[in-house]
Amino acid sequence: MSKLTVENVSFVYSAGTPFEVKALDGVSVNIESNRITGIIGHTGSGKSTLVQMFNGLIRPTEGKILLDGEDIWADAKKISAVRYRVGLVMQYPEYQLFEETVEADIAYGPKNMGLDDAEIAKRVLESAEFVGLGVENLKKSPFDLSGGQKRRAAIAGIMAMRPEVLVLDEPSAGLDPAGKKSIFEGIQKYAEATGAAVIIVSHSMDDMAKYCEDIIVMSHSKVAMMGKRNEIFSRGDELEAIGLGVPQMTYLVRLLAQKGIDLPQDIFTVDDAEAAIIELFGGAK
Amino acid sequence: MSYIKIRNLKYSYKDDNDEPIPVLRGVSLDIEKGEYVAILGHNGSGKSTLAKLLNLVIEDYDFFEGSIEVDGVDITSDDMTEDDIYELRKKIGMVFQNPDNQLVATIVEEDVAFGPENLGVPREEIRQRVDYALKTVGMTEFAHHEPHRLSGGQKQRIAIAGVIAMKPDCMIFDESTAMLDPMGRKDVVETIEKLNKEEGKTVITITHYMDEAVRADRVIVINDGKIILDGAPSKIFAQAEILRSAGLDLPQCADLLLRLREKGIKLEGEINTPEQCAQTIAQALNR
Amino acid sequence: MKSIAFGQYYPSNSIMHRLDPRMKIIMGILYIVTCFLCKNVITFGILMISALLLIIISKIPVKIVIRSIRAIIFIMIFTAVLNIFWTKGEDYELLLSWRFINIYSSGLYNAAFIVIRIVSMIIGTGIFLTYTTTPIQLTDGLEQLLSPLKVLKVPVHEFAMMMTIALRFIPTIIEETEKIMAAQKARGADFSNGSLVKRAKALIPVLIPLFISSFRRAGELATAMTCRCYRGGKGRTRLNVLRFSFKDFVALFLVIAFGTGIVLLNIYAPGYTM
Repeated sequence: MSKLTVENVSFVYSAGTPFEVKALDGVSVNIESNRITGIIGHTGSGKSTLVQMFNGLIRPTEGKILLDGEDIWADAKKISAVRYRVGLVMQYPEYQLFEETVEADIAYGPKNMGLDDAEIAKRVLESAEFVGLGVENLKKSPFDLSGGQKRRAAIAGIMAMRPEVLVLDEPSAGLDPAGKKSIFEGIQKYAEATGAAVIIVSHSMDDMAKYCEDIIVMSHSKVAMMGKRNEIFSRGDELEAIGLGVPQMTYLVRLLAQKGIDLPQDIFTVDDAEAAIIELFGGAK
Repeated sequence: MSYIKIRNLKYSYKDDNDEPIPVLRGVSLDIEKGEYVAILGHNGSGKSTLAKLLNLVIEDYDFFEGSIEVDGVDITSDDMTEDDIYELRKKIGMVFQNPDNQLVATIVEEDVAFGPENLGVPREEIRQRVDYALKTVGMTEFAHHEPHRLSGGQKQRIAIAGVIAMKPDCMIFDESTAMLDPMGRKDVVETIEKLNKEEGKTVITITHYMDEAVRADRVIVINDGKIILDGAPSKIFAQAEILRSAGLDLPQCADLLLRLREKGIKLEGEINTPEQCAQTIAQALNR
Repeated sequence: MKSIAFGQYYPSNSIMHRLDPRMKIIMGILYIVTCFLCKNVITFGILMISALLLIIISKIPVKIVIRSIRAIIFIMIFTAVLNIFWTKGEDYELLLSWRFINIYSSGLYNAAFIVIRIVSMIIGTGIFLTYTTTPIQLTDGLEQLLSPLKVLKVPVHEFAMMMTIALRFIPTIIEETEKIMAAQKARGADFSNGSLVKRAKALIPVLIPLFISSFRRAGELATAMTCRCYRGGKGRTRLNVLRFSFKDFVALFLVIAFGTGIVLLNIYAPGYTM
């Protein structure tokens, strides 16, 4: 059984008005534990609506969301319990920081869960460690942190609820390369330590190639493609038809193929390309 | 004579305890008219401060040393009057990161008109400038739309049109693509290049997207308030060590070719874009 | 949610929508004054018809107008009832007398007059101003109408600029509020259950980030405006300058004629007078 199942879900914004928009149209996906799943698609493809359904922020107009096989909307009063189990990090999460100290802000979620102080303190430290936020920062005001640190503090605030499913919407948007790297490292650490199902929404094919094992491609409110990373990226023509393109290294392989240089089809990262091309030149000299 | 001439520029701001925090530690730089320059650097490296100083939009000038000349005028001199600063801002237009926070009016064309209105341009000419600016950024059909209903990339192109309508010589883009999705980024980058190539504007773009920097004629890398690299992109991106120490990445293709060279494979030629990279590899194989 | 910011503006291409906003402001004021001038059965009757005509001319659906009247229905009923019971009219017919309650025919007339007056005023301001004029047109109209006051050092331009920026940013801030609320809900915030105090407390994690981001926005906007050479209203030109056209003067003439007609009818028309 999948950790999280989306069953034939549709959603309509502003139903019954001239501004009616169908944001999701018969979407079905399965999300597994112990894996990092990527969701990719253009702005307006429905991916942000979909992720807000995972934790019950938006209720489907049709279809079901199952967590461990149970409908999360079976009892609407218990939806907040679902939000602790499915943690959602929204876009630019640093804008939700509000407490006087970083520590208190990370503790906000666990406190709402009704955990005792000892457990909260433990989780705050743990989460700070996941995202690589040094202990010296915990007593600071979140507004005194750098941009990248603020982002990491906000992500730690969700991790502290120890969700079984961790969903991140564009976690690295607007950060410099170093900031971006530390965010993804933090996510990987959390995934390894907890065995959670991790879902990353991103615009970047290169990030997907680097960090995700399964990939879901959204287009025009529907799931256009879904499967293992290698399988998805080998369907470059379809991806381009959607207007998404392929990772840069995959694109390079295709350019080389046009020049009559054939390389294996499963090249997505610089590491992959390096190994394959060295092979081509007859191994390292 | 250089259009922008910066000599030994130092700048610090005060923290809460009135202690100076150095941001720029002695920057010297010449930028010619018509150049397309990318400034790279991690967050907090001082690159945005540099841009803001060029337009004198930093409030606290207490810890300031060195000089900046723009179009032959020393803008750091004490003789700068309010009108002189006004003239400077006519010459150098700025586009910022968050498109939402730079649009003033509730109708697209009125926002584009905001700059020329402030300059006291006659009405008929404002009309011409607005139409021209919207055409340049490809947003003519949105002239009567409300900005908040547009996408990020579209908003940013409106912000660019607002600067074009002021007819500056030089345009500075301060991380103007950082908050955009790939499509919006592509549109904005193409607009920026068009302004440089077709309109002859001097363009300074501040970014941390390596694949954008690669497209400029010249790349300047700033780290800890100092210029550590300055030159053509192919030269800059061959300096992997220095770039990494400055908290930056290489474009993937440059990274690949450098690694291959380290492994002893002889590769000659340009390395920055996938097309150049494929060409370089193909050449090496045919030999 | 986004539509809230644009108040009650109802897009359409009626003649009313195309009139100059300055003229509409003037006409709106004249119309309200006329509502107070009405005194007898005939003038109130004409007033009622004029309000209906306004709705027809402006092509605003009656449903929408009724909705705005419904909002103050209690005030209307209350004032009407007060008039019915408290009007003492010895010269008029006593319709009902029970213990200390005496209802005269004059009371009924007055109640009806008050209701017509209030309804007409609401329809008048709605049709001349809010339904047919966008907030930004209203702001422009007010700025240009009041611009003679600049001589008296009244910061007319600054107020108009503040209004414009507010109108520009209200949708952005509403959107942001929704985002922050969703983000805090994802951390277990509960805005809809519990006591009033508890709910007010739950808003703190929304209000603090909202304030901080609004200040940041304000700072960034100020920098961007400075870079675009903004330095107040001095020496500014405008892309869109309002210009009166023939139809504006015709409309003004009609409203003035209507007001004058009402005044004359007050004097010469027969029937119950307030």
